[in-house]
Amino acid sequence: MLPLSLLNAAQNKPMLVELKNGETFNGHLVNCDNFMNITLREVYQTTADGERFWKLKECYIRGSTIKYLRVPDTLLDAVKDEQNRARDIGRGTRGAHNVGGRGGASSQHPNFTTLRALLSTYRTRTTTTRARGTWRAYAWW
Amino acid sequence: MLIFSVFKTLTDQQVTVELKNDLSITGILKSVDQFLNIRLDNIKVLDEGRHPHMMAVKNCFIRGSVVRYVQLPSEHVDTQLLEDATRREALSQVKR
Amino acid sequence: MSSLQGYVDRRVLLILQDGRAIVGTMAGYDQKSNVVLSDSKERVYSIDEGVEEIPLGLYLVKGDMVVLIGEIDEVLDQAVDLATVRAEPIMPIRY
Repeated sequence: MLPLSLLNAAQNKPMLVELKNGETFNGHLVNCDNFMNITLREVYQTTADGERFWKLKECYIRGSTIKYLRVPDTLLDAVKDEQNRARDIGRGTRGAHNVGGRGGASSQHPNFTTLRALLSTYRTRTTTTRARGTWRAYAWW
Repeated sequence: MLIFSVFKTLTDQQVTVELKNDLSITGILKSVDQFLNIRLDNIKVLDEGRHPHMMAVKNCFIRGSVVRYVQLPSEHVDTQLLEDATRREALSQVKR
Repeated sequence: MSSLQGYVDRRVLLILQDGRAIVGTMAGYDQKSNVVLSDSKERVYSIDEGVEEIPLGLYLVKGDMVVLIGEIDEVLDQAVDLATVRAEPIMPIRY
């Protein structure tokens, strides 16, 4: 199982992120990309010494600054199940060209709809957050 | 790329890898990759009394970026050949 | 990275650049040596006390932070009473 599959499956799940400088961020994952750049919502940021902390509505973390992410244990089985299902569907399609009722365009491009939904949430968010430039650039990409 | 090839010729030889955290690990070189990540078998940590952390570890993967030195078995390195190959590679890079 | 092949589903010791030692089951990895460890625990070493194990659960560690990944011989590992082991923590990486 690839680390990025796990991260992708962690969308909307709580996680703890520690940066290389020791700061930690606790929040829910909004989105991520292949560089492990991530956006979190409802975040508690803590200094490396644990002395001070802040609450942030949203934040963006550059992947290269991350040391590790801690995610819910249940996610591992979720990803494995999802991979098994994807594999079975793949076999089904190869075996017979008829995909069946569930195999329409939406199931062949499962990410497209999610992506579109996410992008539309960004657009509403961008108007309400302070980190406006970041969000806008991100949504644009 | 040249050093990668040198390491490849040394597979199944005993090497000692000194890391940038001052750990030194001796073992049989099983494989290397383009990043000079190293796989060692049958490992032994130098000064095991002070570093018992790897007592139950017998083979390991070491990230190339944290290696400070690799001690090679001199009898298995043809330095003359290596010098020639280095010059050849340097020359070919100048031409390009 | 072919070199991490064979560690999947095995119990491994992961040493990080900041000197932390984490044991866990290797659930996956990628080209950049990012790794996923399940049922992971940090082993905290100190001179004055025995080793303390802190449960960490499911962890995704960035490849940049990886120093070493070692396959743990479980029989050997279980034979060691960690409470009796005293040692300095592993040094962080210095460039």
